[in-house]
This record gives sequence, C-alpha cells and structure tokens, in this order.
Amino acid sequence: MERIVYMDNAATTPVDAAVLDEMKPFFTEQFANPMTYAHSSSGDVAHVAVEEARVRVASLIGSQPEQVMFTSGGTESDNWVLKGTVERASRERLHKSGHLVTAEFEHHAILHSALALQRQGYEVTFVKVGHSGIVDPDDVQRAMRPTTALVSIMHANNEIGTIQPIADIARIAHEHGALMHTDAVQTTAHIPVDVDTLGVDFLSVSAHKFNGPKGVGILFVRDQEALYPFIDGGGQEWGLRGSTHNVPGIVGLGKAAQLGKERLPRELERLTMLRDMLLSKLSAQIDGIVVNGDMKQRVPQNLNIRIEGIDNEPLLLAMNEAGIIAAGGSACNALETLASHVLTSIGCDLKEAKSSIRLSLGYATTTEDVNYAIDVIPGLVKFLRSMA
Amino acid sequence: MDKYSRATIREFMSPSNIGYIDDPSGMGHIADNADAVELTFFISVDAGHITDAKYRVAGCTALISTLSVLSKELPGKTIDEALALDMSYLSGVLDGLPESKWRCAGYAVQALHLAIEDYQSKGEATAG
Ligand SMILES: Cc1ncc(COP(=O)(O)O)c(C=O)c1O
Repeated sequence: MERIVYMDNAATTPVDAAVLDEMKPFFTEQFANPMTYAHSSSGDVAHVAVEEARVRVASLIGSQPEQVMFTSGGTESDNWVLKGTVERASRERLHKSGHLVTAEFEHHAILHSALALQRQGYEVTFVKVGHSGIVDPDDVQRAMRPTTALVSIMHANNEIGTIQPIADIARIAHEHGALMHTDAVQTTAHIPVDVDTLGVDFLSVSAHKFNGPKGVGILFVRDQEALYPFIDGGGQEWGLRGSTHNVPGIVGLGKAAQLGKERLPRELERLTMLRDMLLSKLSAQIDGIVVNGDMKQRVPQNLNIRIEGIDNEPLLLAMNEAGIIAAGGSACNALETLASHVLTSIGCDLKEAKSSIRLSLGYATTTEDVNYAIDVIPGLVKFLRSMA
Repeated sequence: MDKYSRATIREFMSPSNIGYIDDPSGMGHIADNADAVELTFFISVDAGHITDAKYRVAGCTALISTLSVLSKELPGKTIDEALALDMSYLSGVLDGLPESKWRCAGYAVQALHLAIEDYQSKGEATAG
C-alpha cells in the first residue's frame, strides 16, 4: 500500500478508535434527547453521557464542569465570546460602544468576528506581533482603554505554534477592568492548559485538534453573567446556547479529553523530540532553512520553516505525490494565493511567506513517519531548486 | 473547488526542457517578488521557425507545467504561430488549469513574448 505520512495535524486529527467506540451507540440505540431526562430513562442515559463528557473536559482544563459550555467548535466559541461579551459590557456596564483588544495573527474565527464588531460600531485594536511570533504584554498594556471590554489573545498560534504569555496578559486585562479570553484550540491536550493558571475568563477548545470529532468544542465561561447567548434557542447549556445537544460529538469530545489528559506528559516529550529531530535533520540536508517564529515557546507538534528559493505550492504538491501531507498557510486558507496573514504579521515578506511550510505532528505520528519525511523532503527541494 | 488536474501534476513532476540555450536567438526574463516568480525563457529561431525552447524557473506549479507544455509546443512553429499560443490553449493541454492560476501561469506566455521581442529587436539591429 502507498505510504501516507500525515503531517497536517494542526488542521485536523484522525478520530481515535476509542473515541469512535464511545460515540457509536449515541448515533443508534442511545439516540434520545438529553433534555428529556426527567421523564425518560433513555433521555437520562444521554444526559448522563453529556454530563460525564463535561466533567472530563473540565478536568482537562482545570475548570468546574458547569463552566464548560458545549458548542459546535472553535469557530463558534470564538464568535460567541467576542460578540457576547463586547455587546453585553457595552450595553450593561459601559453604556457606550466597548473596545476589544486582540492580535494581528489570530485565527480568522477571531479576526473576522472582530471585524464584524467593528462594522457594528465597536472599536478594535489589533496588536502587532513581531518576529518571535509572541505578543508583547507591554503592547497589550498600551492598547488598553477605559472602555476595553475584552482582551482576546490566542494561547498558541495555529500556523507557527508560538505560545503566548497569557497569564501576564490576563493580569493586564484585569487591572484595566476587562475580561480575558484565549483561543486554546492549538494547545488543549498538547501542553498543560489550566484556566486558573492562565487566569482567563473564557477559553475556546475544539475537539478535532486532539483526536476527537469535528463540529464540537467548548467555551469555558467563568461567569455566565459576563456574556449574552450567541445561539438563541431552547434552555440547553443554562439557556446560554440553544440547540439539541450533539450527543455523539460531545461524548467523543469527552473521551478525547480524557485520553488527551492521560497522554499529555508522554506526548509532549515524544513530539518535542520528533519535531526537533525533523528540524535538525532537514536543516543538515537543506541549506537556507529558517524557522518562522520562536523555537522554544512553541507547541511540541508544530514546525514552520521557510526554505529559501522554494515556492511552497509546488513543494507541497510534490510532497503529496510522495505521500507526505503538510500545509502552507492554514487549512482554511489553502486556496488563497495570498501569503499567510500570520507570516506577514511576524515580518515575513511575501516571498518568505510563500516559501514556508508547516509540518504538524500528532498522536498518530510515528518515528518512521518522521524518518520518511527526512528522507524524502530534501530530494524534492533539490528537484525544485534544480529548475531555477 | 480549485484544484489541479492529474495532467498538470504529471507535467510538473517531470517537466520537459528545463535548461539554458547558449547563444539564444531571443531571451525573456521576468522577476516578480510578490508572486515569488523568477523565470528566464530562451528560444532558438532558424529560417523563421522556432527550433528550440528552454527555461529556468522558480514559481508555482501552474507556471512550471505551463512552461513545460509551451516549450514542447514551440519547436517547428513560426513566430506568428508561437504568438497565437495563449492561456486558454495551454490550459486545455493541461486538462484545464484552475482560473485562479491563470495569472501566474500567464508569466510563461509573457516570457515567451519577451523572448520573441528580444529576437525581433536583434533582427532589426542586424537589418539596420
Ligand atoms: C487557533 C484556532 N482557532 C479556531 C479554530 C477553529 O476551530 P473549528 O474548526 O473547531 O471551528 C482553529 C482550527 O481550525 C484554530 O486553529
């Protein structure tokens, strides 16, 4: 069989077999609506499963179970927290249009929500990032205003993997009376994520980035009074998020959270070792490799490099022909011929951005996979360089 | 969704006619930093017909495969026939390039036109 080496785990991960097993009955026999638990024993089975998943997720992020709100994924959680808090603080506390502080290199779920708020008359500051790919808390400090309702800075960037000083930034937000959100989609189950250590009021998680199913995530909400609902509907999730629970998805998220927590210490070490080996062996064989963003403050599964004189598009296609799946920008932008906004935000020019690839490892990545990439990629770079 | 045809991928994975022509009849050079493109196109012309075409390229997949196809089409053609090779024809040879890639692939045609202009200006110089 043709060899497939999947190195695009920052885009999504395969559902773990144990996760799928726990999900399956909730598509078939256990199909009941959990909201019917009071009068239906099958509803109660679904309800118990949803609540168990809530406990497992809470245990992964160090929160109380009732602070975990199930959503349809990272994008919804990000939309909800930005729109729900800025609108509520503006109407009920500030009595004028509030202000949001975020960063230039956020995921589009944040950036486009911020632009939507801006269109409605709210004010937004996009903090610059700089070469390291790490937000300087002093820049956040300077961006703060008396009307700042929320600061939202991602825990780790999805393209370059750089980890942000969230606890320091949260302190600044709170000193100015603002709330703090972090998009922890790329860190949860990969590095320790604890809502109290981070000092955040809100935190977004998406199941499919750690071997759970797509289309399900959570928003950690420290205080339910701090935001308006985003999906208005029935009484689910304390009336804060309507819609019949995605029971199989939520069960899958819960199992992935449990497995993620168990596996984290070992995976952190293993993936760091594999990632560092990948970089050092590629650098030894290919000249002109530069790492995008800080190499130390980085999630273990991420490597983002630019390769001088190479266009990433033909390189990625040639890698795909050889069975290695990786990424240029992020998956959501794969069709843009424009360079990634993340790489340009950290000071790459267009040519540098277009010569960059992201290799992201995951639980399913083996040492053999990494060795295969180390064997194959240098030859493909040589092939492309031989045309120039 | 825009994606490349198998014909395009095959062409790009084993491109024809990469190289230089020593003492070419005409040469066209294009460099565009924003598109991360650098390209040199060489032609040999004899008795009004193109006899050889070669190129060096750093750029996207669409450009590499278009150059490969173009370089194979040119030998034997007159200058007018060469100028008639346009993107819709070349895209057809590749079983259809995504429209979003036509602009970048179009550098192949532009470079050929520059090489032809270069050839023609030399001709004028000799004639004059
Ligand atoms: C940092 C970040 N935020 C948000 C998202 C969106 O999550 P989802 O795909 O669950 O909507 C992603 C991934 O796509 C991401 O990497």
